[in-house]
Amino acid sequence: MSEPVALTAGITGTDRPLPRGLRALAPFAALFAIAAVVPLTGNAYLGLIAGRAAVYWVLVSGLTLVVGFAGQLAIGWVALLTLGAYVTSVLAAGTVLPPISPYLALVVAGAAGALVGVVIGLPALRLRTFYFAMATLGFATILNQIALAWQSVTGGGVGVAGPIFGGPFGSTWGFYYFCLAAAALCTWLSANLAASRFGRALLALRDAEVAAEASGISKPLMLVSVFLFAGATAAISGGLFASLQTYITPDAFTFDLSILFFMAILIGGRGSILGPLLSTVLLTILPEIAAPLAAWSTFLYGALLLAIVLLVPGGIANMLDFGGRRPLETRRVIAPAQSMLPALFVTARQPATLRLAGIVQSFGGVRAVDDLSLTVMPGKIHGLIGPNGSGKTTVLNVISGFYPPDAGTVRLGDATLPSGAPATRAGAGIARTFQKPRIVGDATVLANTMVGGSALGRASFIEAMLNLGRHRGDEKLLRERAWLALRAVGLADLAEIRADRLQHTELRFVEIARALVSDPAFLLLDEPAAGLSSDEIECLGSLITAISRMGVGVLLVEHHVDLVFGICERVTVLNLGRELAAGTPAEILANQEVNDAYLGS
Amino acid sequence: MLRSIISYGLAMGAVYALIAVTYNVMHSVSRVFSFTAGLLGMLGGVFGALFIGRMGLPVLVGMVATLGCCAIIGVITEFVAVRPVLRSLDQHLYVLSTLALMLLFQQFTAIEWSTEPQPFPALVDLTVAGIDQRFWMPVLALAATVGGLELLYRHSVVGRAFLAIAEDNFAARALGLPERNLRIASYALAGAIGGLAGFTGGRIMLAFFANVSPLNFYGFVPVALGGIGNNRGAVVGGLALGLFQQAANFLVGGVFASIAVYGVFIVILLLAPEGLLRAPVTRRV
Amino acid sequence: MPTSEAEPSHASGAEPLLVVRGLVAGYGRLRVLNGVDLTVGRADLVALLGPNGAGKSTLLCAIAGLLPHQGGQVVFDGRDLAGLNARDTVRLGIGHVIQDHRVFTHLSVTDNLLLGGYDLPRAARLDRVEEAFALFPELAAKRHEPGSALSGGQQQMLAVAQGLVRQPRLLMLDEPSAGLSPVLVDRVLAVARTLRTRGTSVLLVEQSVQKSLNFADRAYVMAGGRIVLEAATSEPDLRRRLKDAYFGLSTAAA
Repeated sequence: MSEPVALTAGITGTDRPLPRGLRALAPFAALFAIAAVVPLTGNAYLGLIAGRAAVYWVLVSGLTLVVGFAGQLAIGWVALLTLGAYVTSVLAAGTVLPPISPYLALVVAGAAGALVGVVIGLPALRLRTFYFAMATLGFATILNQIALAWQSVTGGGVGVAGPIFGGPFGSTWGFYYFCLAAAALCTWLSANLAASRFGRALLALRDAEVAAEASGISKPLMLVSVFLFAGATAAISGGLFASLQTYITPDAFTFDLSILFFMAILIGGRGSILGPLLSTVLLTILPEIAAPLAAWSTFLYGALLLAIVLLVPGGIANMLDFGGRRPLETRRVIAPAQSMLPALFVTARQPATLRLAGIVQSFGGVRAVDDLSLTVMPGKIHGLIGPNGSGKTTVLNVISGFYPPDAGTVRLGDATLPSGAPATRAGAGIARTFQKPRIVGDATVLANTMVGGSALGRASFIEAMLNLGRHRGDEKLLRERAWLALRAVGLADLAEIRADRLQHTELRFVEIARALVSDPAFLLLDEPAAGLSSDEIECLGSLITAISRMGVGVLLVEHHVDLVFGICERVTVLNLGRELAAGTPAEILANQEVNDAYLGS
Repeated sequence: MLRSIISYGLAMGAVYALIAVTYNVMHSVSRVFSFTAGLLGMLGGVFGALFIGRMGLPVLVGMVATLGCCAIIGVITEFVAVRPVLRSLDQHLYVLSTLALMLLFQQFTAIEWSTEPQPFPALVDLTVAGIDQRFWMPVLALAATVGGLELLYRHSVVGRAFLAIAEDNFAARALGLPERNLRIASYALAGAIGGLAGFTGGRIMLAFFANVSPLNFYGFVPVALGGIGNNRGAVVGGLALGLFQQAANFLVGGVFASIAVYGVFIVILLLAPEGLLRAPVTRRV
Repeated sequence: MPTSEAEPSHASGAEPLLVVRGLVAGYGRLRVLNGVDLTVGRADLVALLGPNGAGKSTLLCAIAGLLPHQGGQVVFDGRDLAGLNARDTVRLGIGHVIQDHRVFTHLSVTDNLLLGGYDLPRAARLDRVEEAFALFPELAAKRHEPGSALSGGQQQMLAVAQGLVRQPRLLMLDEPSAGLSPVLVDRVLAVARTLRTRGTSVLLVEQSVQKSLNFADRAYVMAGGRIVLEAATSEPDLRRRLKDAYFGLSTAAA
């Protein structure tokens, strides 16, 4: 019988950026090194296959952010390959306008791809998954038909010659190195984004959209950014593809090709860059190895996809994730370290009060919250209790901005918080946890915690993509804050573990750590004690008390009445959306109406 | 010309509407959209051409065999592509699993049947009021299907159980309804309906493996526009789509017709994501 | 936590209808029931009380087979319910009326009742539907109306009637009074009380403590996924002990 292992702070958690970076770089370096020596074999066929893999990867490197990270099933993205191929070829050939340098044509194609990528992608903000997938398929079909019909420009079914790149990349091998360089560049850009707060934000939007918005992540902004990037890379890939093929017709851009890209991402693993890279290479080589089975290649693709979905949904990336699979102690104990807290609260703020006045919120004719007013003072803990259906979570959702109230205002200090705008709350200093923990299962506990600091980042999308100084500074800051927060709540030992391996109770503390990273002025907790043992509830109580002593105002929604009465300075009791009673715990306990509401007279 | 637009438009519209009903029936019991709806449409045509055209079976036997095979493929969809992923946390895996299944069957058909469109046999020697069978068969099938579903849902306890499971899966389970069996039966029924679409549309669409994608897309448009689960909306949407498409085809030509359909589809969805006949859904946090 | 040895009021000496021993259950990795012990006798009326989040609904769902058991045992009429789903338990004679009076709003009242007897032969099914209408004349008056046309209270009556179509030996009611007027609540509970005369036992989860105590012979109180109090409803000290159990006064600040 082993002693429970205390996850105390300070034991682990040393930051090792350099070795981690090199370790991550190794597989990429190895792969590109292999690719770089292919010309030495002198085998033109090998060069063609490797070149094709590189060109496909240029597209997939961008698409993986859309499909794998953002979770948008853009099955018809081959449309952008088509677009890029034709734009580059037609501009270089000079059939419509005077011919321009293929390199310039490639740049124009990239810009066109970015624009069209946003146009195809924007409906994702309004449409459900399947609808969006269908819409992109429809778009791909349309584009193909346009290519077939617009004979004066595209040559119709006859097609056009692909661009011939001159200069140092004019020779076969020269062009091969050009494609390889493009692939390497796109890998670098994509990996930078993946490892940045934007990559984490996309994952959060995919798996925990509500928590993402509460952390200050704007879904429209994020999606537009990735669609621009993925559109550009896909179109450039198209230009290179056209040159590689030397001649393109609409037939070259089949549904099969679209599925191929999609599958590369699924087989490679969502949320990964290395995985899809390996699977893109694999899927390009496969038809060549299985040449006798060429007719069956699409059938095998389908079988492979089905197998992956059913058996290994996590893909290659999951299989390669050795570190994340190390065995965990089964009897873990969470031991917060309150000494870590002061370092987290650095923003100098005027203490402000959170005030709800006359909030009314109805759903379909039923008033979930009926004329509620409530005040949370900075540095104090305010409890909100009441029977099921009394409107407690609705109150939190109104404060968080998810529900615009039918009447009433939410004010922080002098400022009225805009209703229906949840992504503004994190910046205003309001953080929250959720009744059902909303986390990204695929990502590590540390990455999940860092999501909380999304609003603190200063670097732009481009700066992150290019790994510029301001972005590196952001990452360092967020990483430090996340470690501090995890030590504070007592989960530092689990920082590098995939979040979906944690117990439910530990996830509640992860949510608290995530909230702390945003340096909040107010913390909204939605039933954090649900499912906790009595020891864990005591831990939770002291942690919340310590947080409030940092000057944070806490609004605690709970069913565990003993916890509420133990740590709250003031308690509001809700019943059927209205305030039944408000006061100190002692006053509430003595209140006859409260007794009646709970015990029923 | 007008007559041509109306006959082709209603006929194709009926085929699209039947595929839409297929989507709806599958979705109602599993909350999942399946890429196999269009696949079943294609297979209806191929099986029909195979059993009646090539193997020479009598029309009725061939039809029953076709619908039976399609029902089986519907059940396979449930077993292989739907049930396993319903359990997982990521519901979007079903898009990929049904897509994979669709690819498998589509490619198998391309290889074993033909990569070229094959002729579909004339089923009956009957021209009604000067309207060729290729025009009235799909419309008749649509009417029969929708009428049959109404009868099933309103007048049999099994049909009512289908509706119950579609409306409130948990309450249906708590009441002791055999939810799994009913789901399998629904998928079988959906399979047969999809097969019927392809079978009756065979004279127009021919037995062609590549029919899957257009059927998937154009069969989905009535669902999106009419609202999920709304079979009446699917009928109206399907017929309207068929007529619109044919009119556009004749007036502006193939490519522009496709662009027009797609454009209208996207615009309507952006304005009314839940369909034209439904109220917008507020997000519950 | 205080418990008491309470005899079922009828104390016939027959084996209890339902025995739950150390039941552990939850949703995925969230454990809600931490070892529940509970008994329901034959023709017994038992109330299950407790604060929200204690696991009362989860317990009913686990007994009914809507949730898998992660530990412990449930024995119904001598039969172990491990691995059985809701369809099996309904066939064995357990009726479960879930929270929020969920009826099928797109179907008529009659259809709703017919579904309650899905597995029965057609003639028996129709007979039982008429019996349900006899028990709830308010529903008979609306037999062809859709579920959506009923008020909340009528929907609750319909939900209870649905559960009774198969004449279960144990009827479990999950908060039938939620959101209803007191008059309707009394009506529903009065019907539930009469079930004892036909040998049906009732396990009632109820928000209103007073109504539960009026209804039942015995009461259990749950908190934190466990039974913390077991008593006969006739005991004089019960209200104070209930308050202690609800508010966890041993740890609260005075």
